[in-house]
Amino acid sequence: MKPQKKQYQKRDQQQTMDPRLKKCPFCAKEVKHIDYKDYPTMKPFIDYFGNIMKRYYTGICLKHQKMMKAAVERARFMGMIAYRK
Amino acid sequence: MPTITPTSEDTVIYELCVLYPANLSQKEEATLLKEIEGFFSEAGGKQIAKDAWGRRGLAYPIKKEIEGNFVIYHYELDPSKLKEIDRQLHILPNLMRHLIVKPPKGYVITKYSEHYVQWIKDRSTAVETEKKEEEKKLQKKVTDRAKVQAKRAEAQKKETKAPAMEKEALSEKLEQIISDKDIGL
Repeated sequence: MKPQKKQYQKRDQQQTMDPRLKKCPFCAKEVKHIDYKDYPTMKPFIDYFGNIMKRYYTGICLKHQKMMKAAVERARFMGMIAYRK
Repeated sequence: MPTITPTSEDTVIYELCVLYPANLSQKEEATLLKEIEGFFSEAGGKQIAKDAWGRRGLAYPIKKEIEGNFVIYHYELDPSKLKEIDRQLHILPNLMRHLIVKPPKGYVITKYSEHYVQWIKDRSTAVETEKKEEEKKLQKKVTDRAKVQAKRAEAQKKETKAPAMEKEALSEKLEQIISDKDIGL
């Protein structure tokens, strides 16, 4: 395990962030529920075409990704967010 | 605003989101909302909150409508009667979409307008903090560069000084070698 850590540190110094090292922004705030009416919180996790972004790129944990998916799908159904741009 | 907890064990709190077209006449709108509220009052539901979002553009056309009105209700209701209400809402004319959700524990009811104001405030403060951080980074860069330059200048000075010392030492040595003190002629 140790040599791997060293590699990551080197990458940090070069300012190229490894996507695997990102931490869940919802866990930091201890979010228990994502509201489908709350567009500003969902916006950063939807790309230009209206797709939900992959967990690998956003760093969300699996628990919160599932909440996010449910919220986005509800908002899409109600016409608040586009299915496809 | 109040956090929601059902008064008795038999009832559950539900959140109903309703979407209807924006170009309805006032009469039609009033009758529609009355009908929706009537379904719940018939089933013995208790209204906790009502929040009308007002006219809002839709992300995609629904039944050839581009704009719609959103209304959000919070009701305390017997869960066994929910299915019937959902069926009745499906049949209602003039109603484009409806969504019934059970809000989680510790959910706080906030009005949309308040939420929007709060969001704009947060966004402006976030922009300000970002600017400050950028300025700090720039300052750090400038100071770091100055330090590096100073270090380089010092190193150069040392380099220039060192050979001079060597020259003196060399001349002394040379003189020692040249002088013939040992030879007693």
